[in-house]
Amino acid sequence: MAYTMMQTPRGTKDFLPRDAERKRWIEETLRSLFWRWGYREIITPTMEFYDAVSAGDAAGLAGNLYRFFEREGDILALRPDMTTPIARVVATRLQGAAKPLRLCYHANVFRYADPQAGRRREFYQSGVELVGSSSHLADAEVIALAVESLKAVGLKNFRVDIGHVDYYEGILQNSGLSQDKRRSLRMALLKKDYVALEELTGDFSLSQEDRELLLRLPHLRGGREILVEAVERAANPTSQRAISNLTAIYDALEAYQLTDWIQVDLGMIKDIEYYTGMVLEAYTADMGFTIGTGGRYDHLIHQFGYGCPATGFALGIERIMLALSRQDGWTSMPNFRVLCLGLAEGPKLAWQTAEKLRAKGFPVELAVDSFAEDEILEYAVAQGFRWVIQPLTPERIRVWTEADGWREQELGEFAAALGGGVPNG
Amino acid sequence: MDKKTPLTIAVPKGRLQKPVMELLERAGVDCGELRNPSRKLIIPVPGTGWRFLLAKPADVPTYVEYGAADLGVVGKDVLLESRKDVAELLDLGFGSCRLIVAVLKSSGIRDIQDLDFNSRVATKFPRITTEFFSRQGIQAEVVHLNGSVELGPIVGLADAIVDITETGTTLVENGLVPIADIARVTSRLIANRVSCKVKYHTIEGLVRRLREVLAESVG
Repeated sequence: MAYTMMQTPRGTKDFLPRDAERKRWIEETLRSLFWRWGYREIITPTMEFYDAVSAGDAAGLAGNLYRFFEREGDILALRPDMTTPIARVVATRLQGAAKPLRLCYHANVFRYADPQAGRRREFYQSGVELVGSSSHLADAEVIALAVESLKAVGLKNFRVDIGHVDYYEGILQNSGLSQDKRRSLRMALLKKDYVALEELTGDFSLSQEDRELLLRLPHLRGGREILVEAVERAANPTSQRAISNLTAIYDALEAYQLTDWIQVDLGMIKDIEYYTGMVLEAYTADMGFTIGTGGRYDHLIHQFGYGCPATGFALGIERIMLALSRQDGWTSMPNFRVLCLGLAEGPKLAWQTAEKLRAKGFPVELAVDSFAEDEILEYAVAQGFRWVIQPLTPERIRVWTEADGWREQELGEFAAALGGGVPNG
Repeated sequence: MDKKTPLTIAVPKGRLQKPVMELLERAGVDCGELRNPSRKLIIPVPGTGWRFLLAKPADVPTYVEYGAADLGVVGKDVLLESRKDVAELLDLGFGSCRLIVAVLKSSGIRDIQDLDFNSRVATKFPRITTEFFSRQGIQAEVVHLNGSVELGPIVGLADAIVDITETGTTLVENGLVPIADIARVTSRLIANRVSCKVKYHTIEGLVRRLREVLAESVG
């Protein structure tokens, strides 16, 4: 049979039930968290007009977009991120809405990149956008929510780095260098090509202070002391404003007692051009690539004809899943799966028992085939059931777990094990 | 230097291995185990949390991009060709050579613009070659070979080659002459982007020490 019939396109993936449940659990955990913070979900089409999704150059390169023709002749594209479609919605249908708006999403996005190092062509993002406020408190809130999100899914050893695009932009603007030269410096910083950075700063005519500062940029990372050093080093007003903004954000995060998870990194340069202020990047020590990214984008919505500041972040769901697997972190994901026996022997009793547990929120499967007990238990282990139950009377059951074997229990007592209920129930 | 934090350094097998070991030893990293010829691919640095990983040069950027190694040493030629998303921390200076375009001396061609419009170029570096030729506005057909690229023009497989050359001896021996320089190539210290953040102090400590050693050898 043809390869194209049996496989999925490069950079795409099937989520089999175990992975699909894990993915849903993360999304559900985040959805519930975002909800509690007042972020309301927004759903936009998977495909958009090419002109709309290319407005902010979200994919970094227009060449990374999946493009195709509609029968009417318009060029369409699959969304490369959710921030741009949300900007479109805000500038059009939500233009009249009272601001600030708190929006969130859980969506698949598409980029035509080489599938490697954690990059896929179709991947899932959950994120938030706080639209209509230019306050540093809005930035502090999205950073705080990014931290809380990663805590909520049970990730360990993670950090959120925060920086500011205007710090290095101020230095570059102030340098008196041509656009081209500034671009090559920015590119060297973005690629973290410090060899090129050294060569370029050596070749270009720069003041001694600017040269030292540019070379120092990759090392401006740490806590509050970095903000102090950064202000002393950059005399230009743009960089100064950037640091006073970042300091105000840092003060807020300190008040929220979140600075343990925060690092200032002024050498962080983003490959997406729409960022205009604070930028953030989340990562864990257990994985070689970032798990989340975001920042302030005050001009993107203006591309759609409506000037409106905004800030937000997106988390990569597959990357969180990978990091959790590395950290053996799925233990915090509850498993309530029940396999109920006895349908063939006493259909009414088994059926009613299953229904009672389902009403409590347990996922219950009924064994429809009559196998020997050891075969059933083997199946239960292989399938990842937490309990196998055998109804004895309408009130009493036998319960089997892999660790403890069989024991008898009241049905009501067993159902109480669920406690607060199943999140996905 | 902080040698307690676990750190994995990918060392390229082959011509760069010896100078890498020499440089690291001068920087105070014990490479004794690495010098021991054995089949082991993972070699701990005694008394530290560090270890070496011996890899094929072309694989070093891959190990580093995925974070399987925090640091790696690789030639700029391999790094350019790999297009991996890694941080490039330091020019180590050794392994110096040039990435050039060469043709048969007997072809009479002395300028890249004189290549025929349907020229074929043999190389181990198809990405660099494609990019370089398209920047020059030449639509060359790039033929990917895995070694002995000099053979290409001799047997009529290609009109030109793109390859690295240290002294030019191999070129001369095969009747080839360079007609264009693409890049000067030296070996580079590269790092995983997240390791740069998470193990900043460890990595920065090593980089600083290496800089001192490199400065000494220049001075």
